[in-house]
Amino acid sequence: MDEPEIRPVTVLTAQPAHERTDAVPDTARLAVRMVGLCKRFDERWVLRDVNLDVPSGTYLALLGANGAGKSTLLHTLAMLSPATSGTLNLFGLSATRPAPALRARLGMIGHQPMLYRDLSAIENLIFFGRLYGVSRPRQRAEEMLERVGLTNRARSPVKTFSRGMVQRLAIARALMHAPDLILADEPFSGLDVPSVLALQRLLAELHAEGKTIILANHDIGQSLDLAQRVVVLRSGQVVSDRRTLDTDTDQVTREVIEA
Amino acid sequence: MMQVIQQIALLTGKDLRVEARSRQTLGLVVVLGILIVVVLGLGLGPQQVASGQAATAVLWVAYLFGGVLCFEKTMAVERHDGALAGLMLAPIDRGVIYAGKFISNLVLMVALALVVTPVAVVMFGFDLSAAPWGFALIMAGGFVGFAAVGTLFAAAVSSSRLQGGLLAMVVFPVSLPLVIASTQMMLHLFRDGEPVGGAGLAVLLAFDAIYLVVSWLVFEVILEP
Repeated sequence: MDEPEIRPVTVLTAQPAHERTDAVPDTARLAVRMVGLCKRFDERWVLRDVNLDVPSGTYLALLGANGAGKSTLLHTLAMLSPATSGTLNLFGLSATRPAPALRARLGMIGHQPMLYRDLSAIENLIFFGRLYGVSRPRQRAEEMLERVGLTNRARSPVKTFSRGMVQRLAIARALMHAPDLILADEPFSGLDVPSVLALQRLLAELHAEGKTIILANHDIGQSLDLAQRVVVLRSGQVVSDRRTLDTDTDQVTREVIEA
Repeated sequence: MMQVIQQIALLTGKDLRVEARSRQTLGLVVVLGILIVVVLGLGLGPQQVASGQAATAVLWVAYLFGGVLCFEKTMAVERHDGALAGLMLAPIDRGVIYAGKFISNLVLMVALALVVTPVAVVMFGFDLSAAPWGFALIMAGGFVGFAAVGTLFAAAVSSSRLQGGLLAMVVFPVSLPLVIASTQMMLHLFRDGEPVGGAGLAVLLAFDAIYLVVSWLVFEVILEP
């Protein structure tokens, strides 16, 4: 494979997370390990030498300008789009090529809801539950609808839902099979304030339950409030990786927008 | 194996349920099929119509155009709102997604045939009662291959702007061996009274098998961005 053309960028942290002595991970407890991950679309390198370790139970926010590679990174993590080169391990197992068994441990909330508009909310959830081999899918679907506050609309077709309701149902779909790793790609976009607050609360609950969450987001302040760790991507490269307790909005903003 | 069959049944059931709710595909396809049969019947004139021999060719034209519309619509359901990504995230083989979609398309094609064929029988005075099971067998053979390639190419072009036009341009030439084999067999069956079988059926089944296996294998590659 051709080596990606790495343009010089300002690396704001000295080393990638997995090499830092203050963050030596217990590999057995790593939800995600990326080593030298690269992704190319035609001639354009979208991810370049991404090294990232995410221990289980971490709430990580992925920040970056449009086109920085956040969505591509999440798609690669979800095995929707294979990496061009590098290594990807999920829960200690190789995920460089699509692995159906590993997919059962992932839940993704994307730009699009990944639902069928002509089916009702509960039909969608039962369908996806069965696809994941969930036992008692109807009971689980009812639980999930209650959790996202859609019990009273369980039998309504999705096409009659507002944007906020669709997003809540998409979250229920992503959580139907109780995944260990939740990938959320800008889940707050287009939501009104009550829906944003409800989703923030839900993600916090999931984190408290021990789930690993990787959230791609544009709102820096919100990300610092929600996550434990913030990683900034620029031109497909990790330019900073730090604990949110050790950083402030201005610092991260500079890292995101620095040309 | 049982699990794979259950997954395919689940996907097909979902497709048919979506179609039952939206009633978008079958309604359109049936109207198109009837229009094609009627327009071609009128265009060919009373002499051709009376001979009855043009009926199978006209039916194939209706099935081809109706089929392309079916393939397009059933794949559009998956592209809408990113539902296909939802399937690709699930712990199932990509081939299962293909098989589910293929069977759904096949069911819709059969539904199309059940409505359009009687129209052609009436319009062309086509004596289907002479060999109804032979007719069904030949059409089934043609449909399997046609739905196999149609499902594959519908997935391939569904993200393209050209969509409909491109799908027809790709699927029609590839389906030509199926159309030729089945229309020739129909002629021998209804004009000459020969039973279904021999080289014609072997060609049809061989193309079905090739198209199915190749499409199953290629589908995964097509879905990857």
